[in-house]
Amino acid sequence: MIEVDDVRKKFGAVQALGGVSFTARDGQITALLGPNGAGKTTLLRLLVGLLKRDTGSITIDGADPEKDPMAVRTNIGFLTDQFGLYERMSTREYLVYFGELNGMTARAANERVDEVSHLLVMDDILERRSKGFSQGQRIKVALARTLLHRPRNLLLDEPSRGLDVMSTRALRSALTALRQDGCCVIMATHVMQEVTHLCDDVIVIAKGHTVAQGSPQQLCQRTGIPNLEDAFVSLVGTEEGIAA
Amino acid sequence: MRSKLSIVFLKELREHLRDRRSLAMVALFVLMYPVMLGWALNHLIERATKPEREGMELAVIGGAQAPTLMAQLKQKNVTVKHLEPMDEKAITELLRARKAVALLRLEEKYADNYNDMRPAGIELWYDSASDDGPRQRDIEDVLNAYSSSIAGARLLAHGVSPANMQPVKVQRYDTGSNAARSATVIGAMLGFLFLPAFLCCLSAAVDSTAGERERRSLEVLMAQPVNPLMLVGGKWMAAGALSIIGITLELALAHGVLGWLPLEEIGMSWRVTSWSLALVCIASVPLSLFAAAAQIALAMNSKSFKEAQSVLSIFTLVPMLPGLAVSMLELETADWMYTVPMLANQTLLRELAKGQEMGMLPFALTFLSSLLPALAIVAFASWRMKSERYVLAV
Repeated sequence: MIEVDDVRKKFGAVQALGGVSFTARDGQITALLGPNGAGKTTLLRLLVGLLKRDTGSITIDGADPEKDPMAVRTNIGFLTDQFGLYERMSTREYLVYFGELNGMTARAANERVDEVSHLLVMDDILERRSKGFSQGQRIKVALARTLLHRPRNLLLDEPSRGLDVMSTRALRSALTALRQDGCCVIMATHVMQEVTHLCDDVIVIAKGHTVAQGSPQQLCQRTGIPNLEDAFVSLVGTEEGIAA
Repeated sequence: MRSKLSIVFLKELREHLRDRRSLAMVALFVLMYPVMLGWALNHLIERATKPEREGMELAVIGGAQAPTLMAQLKQKNVTVKHLEPMDEKAITELLRARKAVALLRLEEKYADNYNDMRPAGIELWYDSASDDGPRQRDIEDVLNAYSSSIAGARLLAHGVSPANMQPVKVQRYDTGSNAARSATVIGAMLGFLFLPAFLCCLSAAVDSTAGERERRSLEVLMAQPVNPLMLVGGKWMAAGALSIIGITLELALAHGVLGWLPLEEIGMSWRVTSWSLALVCIASVPLSLFAAAAQIALAMNSKSFKEAQSVLSIFTLVPMLPGLAVSMLELETADWMYTVPMLANQTLLRELAKGQEMGMLPFALTFLSSLLPALAIVAFASWRMKSERYVLAV
C-alpha cells in the first residue's frame, strides 16, 4: 500500500509538486493520469527515495522512502521512462544482475528469470545481447527486471509503449496476475483504453496537484461525461478541476 | 550471498572485458612503451658498437699527395676511401647518404706547398646535422696531431725545441659516470612508463559513468536497493583492475626488454632485480586505483561520453607535471617526492635503476600516497551520487 499525503516539491523557483495526495491499495491497479509535465516523474522519483520532498508524507507498506530508501526499494519494482539496458550483456545476465542487486542469490534469480520470461513471452531473446533489440523487446526486458524480485509494489511508467498486440496482452495478463497476488501497482499511462480495461482506481494529476481520484466510472459520473478521455480532458483543462 | 560491491564489480569487469575498445587500449599501452623503449635503445646500441668493429670511413680526394698522413690515419683505425675529384653538391650528397663520416679534400698544389713549407690546404667536409659529431672530432684530432708533429720536426731541424709550440697543455677529464648517464636517459623514459595507469582504465571509467548516463541506464541503477558507495566502489574497482593488469604487464615487459639489451655498450645499466620490480608493481597498484577513482569522479559529472573523454584527456596530463617540474628544476631526490602520486612511482623506479639501496619506507610511502587520495575521491564521488542535484541531472 502506498499512501501519499500533501506532498510538495520545489526545484528552485519551479513548483514541481504543489500538493499531491492519494492512496494506492494492495490488490489494485492504480492508473496515474496526467498531461506531460504534470509532475509524474518527480512523484515516482520521490516514491523510490531518489529525491527528497519539501513537505508532506509518503509511506510505502509503512516505510518512509526518505528515511529508509533501501528497505522501500527492495519492495518496489520501478520501470522508468528509460529502459536502462546494457548492450554487452545478454538478457539473462542483465536480469540476474538486477536480481542479485535486489538481494536474490544467483541461482534463485536464474530460476525466476525463466518464470518471468515465460510470463512475458520473451524466451527467444533471453540468451541474446540487447544490442539491436526492438523497442518492444527492450521494454519487455525492462519489465522483466521490474517483476523479477517479486516486489509488493510496482511503479510503472508507460509500460505498454512500443508493445505489439500480443505483447500488450501478455503484459495485461501479467498485471492481472500481480493484482490477484495482492500487489500494489501504480501505472502512469496515456492509453485510456488500458485504464478502462485494467485499472481499478485512477489518480489524475495536473500542474503538480491531485485533481481527482476514483474508479473510471466514478470519474465519468463526477464530470457527467460518459467517455473517460473526455472526462480526463475536462478534469485537467478547467480551473475548477485544478482547484478540486 | 555475494556482497553488493562484488556483484557490481564483477558485472562491470565482465562488461569491460567484452568491450573491444577498452581491451585494445590496454593492449596498446602494454606494448607501446616497452617496444618504443627497446627500439630506441637498441638503435643507440647498434650505432655505438658498429664503428669499433669496422672503423671509421673517411673519404679523401687527392690523398696520393700525402702518403704520411694517409698512413697515420690508417694507424688510428680510420679506413680511407680514395675518391675522384667531385663538386660541392656531390660531396653534400655523399655525406648526407652517410657513406663516410667526413671527407678530406687536399688542394691541387698540396705537395708543392708542403715541400716549400707553405701552409698546405686540406678541406674538412662534414655534415653537422648528422649525429657523428664525436667521430668528426676524432678525425680533426688526427689532423691536428699530424700537423703539430710535422711542425715539431721542422722546428727541431732549426734547432728549436718543439715544446715551445705548446705553452699550455690541456688534458681532458670526464666526470660523468656511466650510472649517472644512464639514470638521466632512463629517468626520462621512466616518466612515461607509469602513464598507462591512467590510460588503461580511461575507456572503462568513462563507459561506466558518463556512458551509462548517456545511455540513460544510470537512473535505473540508482533506484535499486544499493548504497551509492557500493555502485561507485564496484565501478571504481573494475576500471582500476584494467589499469592494474595493464601497468603490471607493461612494467614486466619493459623490465624484460631493459634486462635483455646490452646496455653496457652505451654506458648505461639496468640494475633493477625482478624482486624489486615486483615490489614496484605492488607499490603501484594504488596508482591505478587513484587514476580510476579520479577519472570516475570526473566522468560521472560529464553529460556525455564525448565530454568525459575530452575532460579526461586533459586530466591525464596533470600527473606528469610534478615529474616534469622536478626534472626541469633539477631537484635532488628527496623523501617528499614519495608522497606525490605518479612522481613517487617514477622516483622509486629511477632510484632502483641507479642501483640505490633503499629501505621499505619509499615503497610504503608510494603505496599510501595514491591509496589515500583514491579512497577520499571514491567517498566524495558516492556522496555526490546521493545528492539530489545529481539525480536530477541524470
